[in-house]
Amino acid sequence: MDTLNILLVGFISIVIVNNLVFTKFLGICPYLGVSGRIDMAFGMGMAVTFVVTLSGTLTWLIDHLILMKMGLEVTRYVCFILVIAGAVQLVEMYIRKFFPSLYESFGIFLPLITTNCAILGLCLFINLWGIDNLLEAVVLSFGAGIGFTMAICIMAGIRENLNMADVPESLKGAPITLITAGLLTLAFMGFAGMIR
Amino acid sequence: MSKIRYFIKQSWLLILSSFCFGLLLAIANAAWYPRILQNEKEKLNKLIVGLVSDANDFQIVIEDVNIPGERGKIIKTDIYKVRNAEGKTAGFAFVGIGSGFADKIKLVITIDSKCEKFLGFDVLSSNETPGFGDKIKEKEFRTQFKGIVAGNLEIIKAGEAKNGKVMAISGATVSSESVVKIFNIYIDKITQKIQEAGLD
Amino acid sequence: MTTKTTEGPILGQTFIAGLWRENPVFRLLLGMCPTLAVTAAVKPALTMGLSVIFVLVCSNIVVSLMRNLLKPHLRILMFTLTISTFVTIADLFLRAFQPVMSERLGPYVPLIIVNCIIICRAEACASKNGLVVSIVDAVGMGIGFTLALCVLAGVRELLSTGMIFEAKVMPAWFVPWAAMSMPVGAFITLGLLLGLVNKLTKGKS
Repeated sequence: MDTLNILLVGFISIVIVNNLVFTKFLGICPYLGVSGRIDMAFGMGMAVTFVVTLSGTLTWLIDHLILMKMGLEVTRYVCFILVIAGAVQLVEMYIRKFFPSLYESFGIFLPLITTNCAILGLCLFINLWGIDNLLEAVVLSFGAGIGFTMAICIMAGIRENLNMADVPESLKGAPITLITAGLLTLAFMGFAGMIR
Repeated sequence: MSKIRYFIKQSWLLILSSFCFGLLLAIANAAWYPRILQNEKEKLNKLIVGLVSDANDFQIVIEDVNIPGERGKIIKTDIYKVRNAEGKTAGFAFVGIGSGFADKIKLVITIDSKCEKFLGFDVLSSNETPGFGDKIKEKEFRTQFKGIVAGNLEIIKAGEAKNGKVMAISGATVSSESVVKIFNIYIDKITQKIQEAGLD
Repeated sequence: MTTKTTEGPILGQTFIAGLWRENPVFRLLLGMCPTLAVTAAVKPALTMGLSVIFVLVCSNIVVSLMRNLLKPHLRILMFTLTISTFVTIADLFLRAFQPVMSERLGPYVPLIIVNCIIICRAEACASKNGLVVSIVDAVGMGIGFTLALCVLAGVRELLSTGMIFEAKVMPAWFVPWAAMSMPVGAFITLGLLLGLVNKLTKGKS
């Protein structure tokens, strides 16, 4: 019961309270770039969720089973980024081979994901928070992906409507998106303190 | 055979450069690692000296104490013994972690040599709201914990703060509660361990 | 002689481009994560900027030196390997000599690895150009990035604490806007600054 409780609380915490986009500024580049249309945003979110779950789990395993045991913490960043790049490559190959239609729809996002800060960021935060349990690491990684998807979809929904709004000329595009994002983070701050 | 040759032809640069980069990292690490350790030690030292007035040096006396934390989670911590210039025990210190308003709060907590009174705490790291929860770092709030009886603490919002009661920061009840909660989670187990080991 | 006269202005242009016309933050919208995350005060922003300059220059040098040996499909792998090595070195350096700043920046130092500016410059400039051009480009881009970070951090630190570089500059009646040091302040300040830059460039051309 306790384990379930920890997992559930951890999941809610990373999706809402410590959302990577709104409180840690991770994954802002795709957040600004791809959030123009809601279906694209959703595709990107799904791709990120998939890769982040995979790489979060793998990096936790590598960190705990190899690097910490052998005192090789100094190579942590190099290993993490290689694992992520490898995971992205693998996912791309797998999807291209078995789900060609899916590849058509979100294949273009896959190479972009390697340089998505949210993924490396999550791997680093899992390490920083001292998560010492594989199950928790998996749930947190998955939660981070869901949190990212949620953030990017909310943004896309707002931006679709923003197209019809009368925005000052020089604020069009990225500036107004950032300001909107600012207001969204303000809203999400309301969730802070929910998990204690 | 040709396959291996093809492989080497394609990737010799990668293999060679990984080797070079590995060497580079090893050199940098070897050169700076002692300094990094020294920095970490100094930071803790500085905080402890600020809390225990006659502290001279400190060392780990009990490693990996299992603390039953929130929701049945086990947290590990080390107990440090703080000694004064004459080599006598001036108190004990440990690092406590708990969840705050926004993110984890990490505290250094000190307790006197008889495990009767807290000598105070300082914040190692936190991410509380600036201007509100952030005030847990300020003297006003922290001095309340100086000399308070080591036992279960309680947070109050109004009235008189004495006998194990601590006045919350106005506008940041959650952060204040989190700090007190960290105290309460750790204290029993820590005193028990210190007494078991017969250190006082 | 002739080569020198043609090279001079090009180098100058490459350098200037990074500062304003192709400023990574304000014009190209690259490297947004650190821009938003570390700009609550000027000092961490400056530290971040200098680390990025270091990594950018080193990785551009290495990539430029081995540009003719690169196999196309292993290119990105080489870039990430190079960048992550130098980021680790920068991180170790900060932890050894600037422990306070290192703690303040936390995981955003290793996150330089995925800063789009660096991989973008490696791909767009260093893998096509010679050593000198690559270095000049890296320095220009790096300084442009640092400047942008410092402007943003300056505005935020001034409004959130009334201080710049931890020295009080605002009059005593000034009430600090705590919100400016929170995520909200980061997003909205950057949005307004981008709007300002858009306005200025439009007026010129």
